Amino acid sequence: MGRFAFVLRRPFQLIPVIIGISLITFVLLQLTPGDPVRVMLGSRASPEAIQEMRTRYGLDRPVIVQYGYYVMNAVQGDLGQSLAFRSPVSKIIAQRVAPTVYVLVYGLALSTLLTLALAVPAARSQGGFVDQLVRLVCVTVVGIPSYWIGLMLIMFLGLQLKLFPVSGFGPDPLANLWHMFMPALTIALAITPILTRNLRATLVAQMNADYVTAGRSKGLPESYVFWRHVFPNSLLPTLNLAGVIVSFLIGGTVIVESVFNIPGLGQLMVRSVLTRDYFTVQGVTLVLALGVVLTTFVVDVLTVLLDPRVKL
Amino acid sequence: MTDETILSVEDLVVDFETDHGIVHALRGVSFRLRRGEALGIVGESGSGKTVACRAILRLLAENASIKGGRIWFENQDVLALDAVGLSRLRGERIAMIFQNPSTHLDPLMTAGKQVGEALRVHRGVSKGEARRQAIKLLADMRIAESERRVDTFAHELSGGMRQRVMIAAALACSPSILIADEPTTSLDVTIQAQILDLLRGLRRERGLSMILVSHDLGVIAQMCDHVVVMKDGRVVETGSVEEVIGRPREEYTRRLIASQPFLMAPASAPASLGEPILALEGLSVHYGLGVGFLDRMRHHGGRTIRAVDNLDLAVGRGEALGIVGESGSGKSTIARAIVGLAPVCEGAILCEGQRVDAMAAEQRLRFRRAVQMVFQDPFTSLNPMFTVSETLAEPLRQHGMRPERDIGLRIDELLAMVDLQPDLKRRRPGQLSGGQRQRVGIARALALEPRVLIADEVTSALDVTIQAQILGLFARLRRSMDLTLILISHDLAVVRHLCERIVVMRHGRLVEAGRTERIFAAPEHDYTRELLAAIPRVKAMPA
Amino acid sequence: MTAAVETSTFQRRARRAPPTLVVGAFIVGTWIALALLAPWLTAYDPIAVDVTNTLKPMSGEHWLGTDSFGRDVFSRLLHGARLDLQMAFFGVVGPLIIGTAIGLLAAYYGGVVDALLMRVLDVTVSFPYFVLVIAIVAVLEPGLRSYYISLTLVNWVTYARLMRSQVLVLKNAEFVLAARTIGIRDRRIMLRHILPNAIAPSIVFVMTDAVLTIVLGSSLGFLGLGVQPPEPEWGVMIAEGQVYLKQAWWIAVFPGIAISTLALGFSLAADGMAKLLHAAQ
Repeated sequence: MGRFAFVLRRPFQLIPVIIGISLITFVLLQLTPGDPVRVMLGSRASPEAIQEMRTRYGLDRPVIVQYGYYVMNAVQGDLGQSLAFRSPVSKIIAQRVAPTVYVLVYGLALSTLLTLALAVPAARSQGGFVDQLVRLVCVTVVGIPSYWIGLMLIMFLGLQLKLFPVSGFGPDPLANLWHMFMPALTIALAITPILTRNLRATLVAQMNADYVTAGRSKGLPESYVFWRHVFPNSLLPTLNLAGVIVSFLIGGTVIVESVFNIPGLGQLMVRSVLTRDYFTVQGVTLVLALGVVLTTFVVDVLTVLLDPRVKL
Repeated sequence: MTDETILSVEDLVVDFETDHGIVHALRGVSFRLRRGEALGIVGESGSGKTVACRAILRLLAENASIKGGRIWFENQDVLALDAVGLSRLRGERIAMIFQNPSTHLDPLMTAGKQVGEALRVHRGVSKGEARRQAIKLLADMRIAESERRVDTFAHELSGGMRQRVMIAAALACSPSILIADEPTTSLDVTIQAQILDLLRGLRRERGLSMILVSHDLGVIAQMCDHVVVMKDGRVVETGSVEEVIGRPREEYTRRLIASQPFLMAPASAPASLGEPILALEGLSVHYGLGVGFLDRMRHHGGRTIRAVDNLDLAVGRGEALGIVGESGSGKSTIARAIVGLAPVCEGAILCEGQRVDAMAAEQRLRFRRAVQMVFQDPFTSLNPMFTVSETLAEPLRQHGMRPERDIGLRIDELLAMVDLQPDLKRRRPGQLSGGQRQRVGIARALALEPRVLIADEVTSALDVTIQAQILGLFARLRRSMDLTLILISHDLAVVRHLCERIVVMRHGRLVEAGRTERIFAAPEHDYTRELLAAIPRVKAMPA
Repeated sequence: MTAAVETSTFQRRARRAPPTLVVGAFIVGTWIALALLAPWLTAYDPIAVDVTNTLKPMSGEHWLGTDSFGRDVFSRLLHGARLDLQMAFFGVVGPLIIGTAIGLLAAYYGGVVDALLMRVLDVTVSFPYFVLVIAIVAVLEPGLRSYYISLTLVNWVTYARLMRSQVLVLKNAEFVLAARTIGIRDRRIMLRHILPNAIAPSIVFVMTDAVLTIVLGSSLGFLGLGVQPPEPEWGVMIAEGQVYLKQAWWIAVFPGIAISTLALGFSLAADGMAKLLHAAQ
């Protein structure tokens, strides 16, 4: 029935969230101590230049009007002018989306493989040696900072063993599978413990569910019960974590891009913070948040398509 | 029924390894099932009845181990079977259905696929054939429109319907034995009657041998030829139903039978309805479906549930009134509205002539003392962090019932009133049994010396023998404290024992009200008749 | 199973702490001790530059070698523990208190306040956590104080959500309804009946959160947005060692091990605490 109507209706329900995001990114700039324009243009800027920028972004008007300007400009794709790069923020961001998305997707794919390889055997040997080992690995890895993991990978795999290139994001997606392996692995290692513990816990809970006993009582083989009943029921809760995971992953890229010198949004973010390029900071924050919203939307749609119980 | 034994359990010993040490679940249990027979296993919680029947299919939890004994099925040693043999036994020869059909069905798989999957696995039939068979099986379970229902998911079906699907799935490969573990316990009485009826018919049509596990002797007496009485992991008594219920040999069996609410003496007729202490006038309680503030705006008066709809009811001083209904009848909502836990939408609640629902806070506090409530679930109705004495001290302090120095004394008195030892007062709920907790709940209500006591399904989570004790306690308290009692229950038999007057509710409306004797002897409404017919009765009553 | 047996084993169980909790507490305790005793455990000033002694490998004199400024890595490591432990504490306490209070009040009273909280939760969750923290630090000014402010602004939401989900269930629990029918006032119901029963998941999360806070804080230090050099914060130390991975690996490796072990301690403690609370219920 209305399952597909939901896909059309859902974006409208996200409007309050998007308004909230725009508010927060807007307020961000208001929090800067002193006059952001003066800070950005530097002390040598002429009063005319300052005045021109103020007028352009409505910074000489009341706050509420300024917010109006911000939203109107953002909707038209104008996120302001980067002072460091001397070009529009939206243009710089557009140039840097691809590497970030590439590393994100690559990292997510690696961590999905790792998670399945760890969580499934752990759950199936519940309380046994493999389970304990996986638990120990997860507890240990979750506390290792990813920038340090990155450095260690560079040191061992890159500099000593020379297995993988240390940096370099090229235009060729296939070559990047090779070049981006260490960054992607670094990100994957950061989230795999969380995903593994979660999937393992869900699997174990589902393996002890009543319908599993009922399935066994019908003489269904253990592997059939696991893959046909337990596994599908465990994927949904893990899928619902995706929003959190993606937001975590994005945090990871900020660091990894700096370590491996990848020209993505994360690196842009850090550089802009250090150079006080506030419009760029604001723009990147906005774009990344919208990325998370987009992901949760996709996950919502998937959930609706996969789970017959979801109330619409 | 022949005398040929199809299944026998011999001297079965099962231990559970838990965090709290080893628990001996079965300490040498033996019984046998004859071909075509229905064998009942009756017992209270912890008796081992469920463990015994799960052991037959080797479905015990990981932490359980079978320490001794044998299980024979048609000359096969069940405990010696390998994985393949076990998979052939389960579903194909012996099938099982469980207590809670909603959790025993996979929420992500259609009913039809779950019914047909045993056929797919055991018989290797095609998808299409499995589906055709599933439709037929569902129709055999008297599910209307089985062609359509075959593609529904568990959450789209009612509780009774889910149990039918589970039975269909169990019988897909035509097993010779069906083990039914409390198959109707989570269902309403009228649905229970339908499912029992279905099982009886299936047994006849298919020549099934059946093991029926239940805590309810009434159900067993109605359904079975032989009965096994279990307690603390042992078989107490076994024999034909007529023998065991008519001439019980063991003390425990006698106690179990005497605790059956239907066999307990009915309440004596009321002198006359005293002046009303509590009156509901046109009471309506509606719930909006949304939970959040925005949901409520969105649904704006549209979809609401009429939990209680335009109810008139008077409770006389000193009487014991029973409110009976199935789930969704609104019986608990009435109680909650009276004590102020549910919003009154229309109508009025009067206590001793004063409108309660419109009272100011201070006055309301005083009213709270007059009307107190005992809650349903002994496991959640006490704060797990509070000791018994903290739980009892709280109402005493809040209302200044006693000066601070006498509070300890009063707590001892309250515990004595509900037959609890004073040394229990330092314990927390986790260290008390279900019956003890419920007694603490009663003592908490009594602390405020109420004139009206509302008891909402207070015994439905308890074993029958404990239930009988608690009901006895209510009867005694009522006399000694001159209480007016409102007893809310799904169980007409429980109400009959304690109340002189009964109100039958359905879908938020009053169906019928009258003196208990009259309701039982000459029910006026069809629904009341249906409820009465659905009570599982023990056929042969002992003198 | 008799009630008596159940009780005595329950008490025995409660007294026996899970091994992960013991080991975790030991690791964290050791780091706290090292941090407190740092000035007495090492003779070297963690900040003073010694140009004659740069990039020295590990020796009896400099147990963990020296960095590019000739500073003793071991000394910097111990003094750095003070900063990183401090981050774990202050980064968590504020959000815990604020978030718990807001979550409790909003969920208990419901209505507009709760609806508003839900919206704030939705919006905050949409921001990549780390990015939002960096953005706030950026507009304030890089440093430890900004980090605390930023964490408190962003992280209270997590605790509010944890609390909210607990309270929504507990406020309809029968023992809370019972308290209302005997006329107990809201304040007491919230503080005595709901809060103690609702706080367990938050307490467990505090430990996990400490891990996140340390890792995040040191990441900021690494990126140059957190503690500023020459302070011996572990992330700062790793950043300084980054360039010397080939010649002087010890500068970057040991602080990483330090963070990892401290985080491991908190993680193990969280794991054990979760078990303990689970067993108690």
